[in-house]
Amino acid sequence: MIPVLLGVSLIIFVLFNLVAGDPTAVLLGKNATARQMADLREQLGLNKSLFAQYMDVVKSAFTFNFGYSWATKQEITYMIRQGAYPSLCLSIPAFVLSTVFSLIISLFVAYYRGKGIDLFIRFLCIAGMSISALAYILFFQWFFAFEMGWFEISGFEYGFPDFIPYIALPAIIWILLSLGPDVRFFRTVILDEIYQDYVRTARAKGLSEINILLKHVLRNAMIPIITYVVIQLPFLILGALLLESFFSIPGLGGMTLNALNSSDFPVIKAMAILSSVMYIVFGLISDILYTFADPRVKLK
Amino acid sequence: MKTNSLWKDAFLRLAKDKWALISLIIVVAYALVAILSSLGIIASGWAQEVGASNLPPSTEYWFGTDIFGRSVLTKVIRGTQVAMSVGLATSLIAIPIGVFLGAIAGYFGGWVDDMITWLYTTFSSIPNIMLLISITMILGKGLFAVYVALGATSWVTLCRLIRGEVMKHKEREYVQAAGAIGGGHMRKLFLHILPNVTHIVIINTSLQFQVAIKSEVILSYLGLGVQGEPSWGTMIDDAKLELARGVWWQLAGATLAMFLVVLAFNLLGDALRDALDPKLKGK
Amino acid sequence: MKRLVLLFGIFLLAASCSKDRNFDERELHLISPEKIAGFDPIHASDMYSGNEMGKVYEGLFEFHPLKRPYELMPNLAETLPEVSADGLTYTFKIKKGVLFHDSSAFKDGKGRELNSDDVLYSLKRLADPKLQAKGWWLFDDKILGLNEWKDKNAPLEASNYSEEIEGLKKIDNHTFSIKLKKPYPQFLYALAMPYSFIVAKEAVEHFGKEFLNHPVGTGPFILPKFEQTNRIVYTKNPTFREKLYPSEGEEGDDKLGLLADAGKRIPLVDKIIVDIIVESQPKWLSFQKAKADLLEIPKDNFDQAVIGGKELSPELKGKGIRLFANPQLDVTFFAFNHDDAIFKNNKKLRQAISMAWNREEANKLFYNSAAVEAQSVIPPGLGGYRKEFKNPFVKYDPETAKKLLAEAGYPNGKGLPAITVQTRNETVARQIIEHFAKNLEKIGVQVKVGMNTWPELVNKVTKRQHQMYTMGWGADYPDAENFLGLLYCPNSSPGSNGANYCNSEFDNLFVTATAMQESPERNAMYEKMNEMIANEVPWIFGFHRTKFYLSHAWLKNYKFMEFNHAQFQYLNVDLEVKKELSKKF
Repeated sequence: MIPVLLGVSLIIFVLFNLVAGDPTAVLLGKNATARQMADLREQLGLNKSLFAQYMDVVKSAFTFNFGYSWATKQEITYMIRQGAYPSLCLSIPAFVLSTVFSLIISLFVAYYRGKGIDLFIRFLCIAGMSISALAYILFFQWFFAFEMGWFEISGFEYGFPDFIPYIALPAIIWILLSLGPDVRFFRTVILDEIYQDYVRTARAKGLSEINILLKHVLRNAMIPIITYVVIQLPFLILGALLLESFFSIPGLGGMTLNALNSSDFPVIKAMAILSSVMYIVFGLISDILYTFADPRVKLK
Repeated sequence: MKTNSLWKDAFLRLAKDKWALISLIIVVAYALVAILSSLGIIASGWAQEVGASNLPPSTEYWFGTDIFGRSVLTKVIRGTQVAMSVGLATSLIAIPIGVFLGAIAGYFGGWVDDMITWLYTTFSSIPNIMLLISITMILGKGLFAVYVALGATSWVTLCRLIRGEVMKHKEREYVQAAGAIGGGHMRKLFLHILPNVTHIVIINTSLQFQVAIKSEVILSYLGLGVQGEPSWGTMIDDAKLELARGVWWQLAGATLAMFLVVLAFNLLGDALRDALDPKLKGK
Repeated sequence: MKRLVLLFGIFLLAASCSKDRNFDERELHLISPEKIAGFDPIHASDMYSGNEMGKVYEGLFEFHPLKRPYELMPNLAETLPEVSADGLTYTFKIKKGVLFHDSSAFKDGKGRELNSDDVLYSLKRLADPKLQAKGWWLFDDKILGLNEWKDKNAPLEASNYSEEIEGLKKIDNHTFSIKLKKPYPQFLYALAMPYSFIVAKEAVEHFGKEFLNHPVGTGPFILPKFEQTNRIVYTKNPTFREKLYPSEGEEGDDKLGLLADAGKRIPLVDKIIVDIIVESQPKWLSFQKAKADLLEIPKDNFDQAVIGGKELSPELKGKGIRLFANPQLDVTFFAFNHDDAIFKNNKKLRQAISMAWNREEANKLFYNSAAVEAQSVIPPGLGGYRKEFKNPFVKYDPETAKKLLAEAGYPNGKGLPAITVQTRNETVARQIIEHFAKNLEKIGVQVKVGMNTWPELVNKVTKRQHQMYTMGWGADYPDAENFLGLLYCPNSSPGSNGANYCNSEFDNLFVTATAMQESPERNAMYEKMNEMIANEVPWIFGFHRTKFYLSHAWLKNYKFMEFNHAQFQYLNVDLEVKKELSKKF
């Protein structure tokens, strides 16, 4: 955990302290005076030694004290707390639904593998993911939200179920985009198992195909599936950059995109550190889940 | 000679799958278009005005014209060159790094594994899109920055998958057997294990290729990608402002071009997987 | 599986019932196209933050909402100040009985009366070295003793506000005087800007770092806490003083119904709801769904989308939607970096490039032919602009351009390296350079596009790492000094003169003219400078743009304002009309 955080801090430091430019001009607006810029550099700690600057990054990674945003002057931990809720309102339902749908579809197409229906559904899923997210956003927002009036065009409302009309459309786009990769991955791992010897044995014993699929195959396919799912979890908090900014959802994704556009380095650093911490935590969780799904791991 | 027959076999199986063939033809066609365009044989005059501003599609201009009266079709072709080059460059950077690191990590374990795991965990724990945007922003944009950013982010998945697969195979009987008859590490790794994990590389490359194409579109859309040349991303960016007044053909052209190639790569990847996976042989 | 389908069904069902409109309260629905950073006036550098702060905070002066040309009128100040004979000492009187919003920052939570200490405190905050105010440039080196105070406090832990400054003197609770170092004719304009809004010391101290989320002003609306979401809801300030809608305006305002509310107590609406929507499409769709009463159409070619010509489409007209097209006090330009030897001493090259750009075509493509081709720096509507003046080098004439290019030493562009023009990573900014490049190619000059985020662009310009860059400049206040200063040598990078252009004759005139009070003589000098600089072509002059607004029929009292942060308190909503027309949406 600690080495990874150090690594992340290093990448962030190299990108934003070493390579990136001087932010003072931006922070002071179009009428800044040279004197003011020099003062600000000092106040932001940009005149410190590189090692001291790196240590600042490391320190923030361990204390979660990210300081204040350059662009908005807000406290970053507060900004993150504010933005996490809308982001999660979008990302959790979208992620759960897309994972469940994908799993069901995968089992279905694995059962009918090689048949016309398998080809057709896979084709649809893949076609769905082959369309640019931007095209989905532009078209769906115009057609479903505006022309048909089924959803809110943009914005966000706090509290359940008030937020649903706002997140429904971005969630549907999210699902359409992730069905393709999910189904192809799940189907691959399920088929991998279907051709294993133990399945043949089970089939020889006279177990029904559905039974084999749900009891044996799914259980064994669970390891890669869990890894695949858990790896994506930490990024849910980041939300979806484009979806959030297009649908005016005040989440962390839109906040990050905004920060990138305004060279708001402390915010970008904070988001990178936050997501890597989450990533590490979920890595541990997936390790623990392994032992439940696959007793062989426990034996080692 | 095991590998040779495997590939030959795979090719025969692939040839029988008409979807795979169609996809292959599409991919080859895109590659050809990209090559011809980069040689300046077609679409070199993309910047020229061919007609009035924002003409709808007609028999003369198949995809219509853009705001400056340039042919959208020519721009789509030029965009193909950009997209394909991004996919290719990304794969060329990501595959060697990913396969090599993944294989030695999975095979040797111990501190080698620890180091490599640390490296890819570090990289993969920063969200891809943030790393992409940050690198392109900082490297000063343009195609080169896009190559580097996508290369730097896309080896990670491959590395992780290869490592896992190699670990699985290491314990399997055939490798143990190869060890028993006196095979060295390198022999075991490269002759016995790697051919059995090729399908991962292939699936991943087909996936990565289209992810790269999609990422380039998004980066260009955000203004971080290609500069001064048409790209599907900048065309969609244009469309954002044009749609409301009914100019839909730039969006349609760019989206369609992207849709076809991404779809073809996906179908081809699946077909290759089915054809190449040794475990599926004879079924 | 069934359960899942059911769940998804509920999800869609819940999604499909939108909220009903509110016809009982006078709600004003607005859209802000940019994120709002916070509510600290000293950082109100962008128009959109200023607009939000203007609902809660007030300044000593404001611009008359109806009269044009823009006229200052007292707001928190009782009257316009008395100015001493030497033009250096200003004596102000502020209104009595003005209350701050109720807030936990005050004793008993009740807002106290505004006094002259608050004004002096708010001005000192702009100079506070700990705060690095974005508005400092307005007062830098202007008020006697303020710069010294700033320097003195820089090394201290916390700035010492109790120290008296020679230039900022309290006379009594409602009277104070400000002494300037040198004549500053734009001073009162500076006091009308959002930077100079009056804050309460208690609130600043009570909320500390969180002050920017807890605006406590004297303004017509209150916002107890800014939550940084994409929706800001203001309610009417119950303790707002008696302030009346003006009973006179520009000629013709009467006919337009702008004086219907004359003499009524403002604010006229109970609530303002501001949605922050950045992307063009959702903004436009929301307006069409009547979720916003007023829409600012982006300066880019989205306006063509909306209006397709200079008239509204019959469909929109039928819904009662009105279009406001207003020339702006701004100028767009491509600046040459005069550090670059290629441009510095080669006036002919600059002129050649200028004449090779087809502005008429650009105007049509990007501004719906509604922009005014800029002949020089000063936009129409400001003293110093002369309508008859035509700059010969702004004319599109590729043949003359070629000739000039040859005379400049680059026949057919031979020997001239490709020029990179830096711009923002925005759709239209990119398209404009593409158009520029296409034009210049015809005379043999190669142009490359350099795309940057806003910060990067500013950075490149302040560090002089550019060959050319393009930008638009909007007026901070209605005085051409704000524009001419863009070419004043001492303002070179990192200042606002990103062209790093120096011309001593121009600079001398600038120093003299900008110290003069508004007068025909001063305007004549501005004209002279404006026309002198036109022939030098330090920039490729672009356009003075037109800003478009759309409003629904139920929005009353709207009139375009360049400096519109105080405008919202005058707006009104006709609930009857809204109820009637809403059936059409």
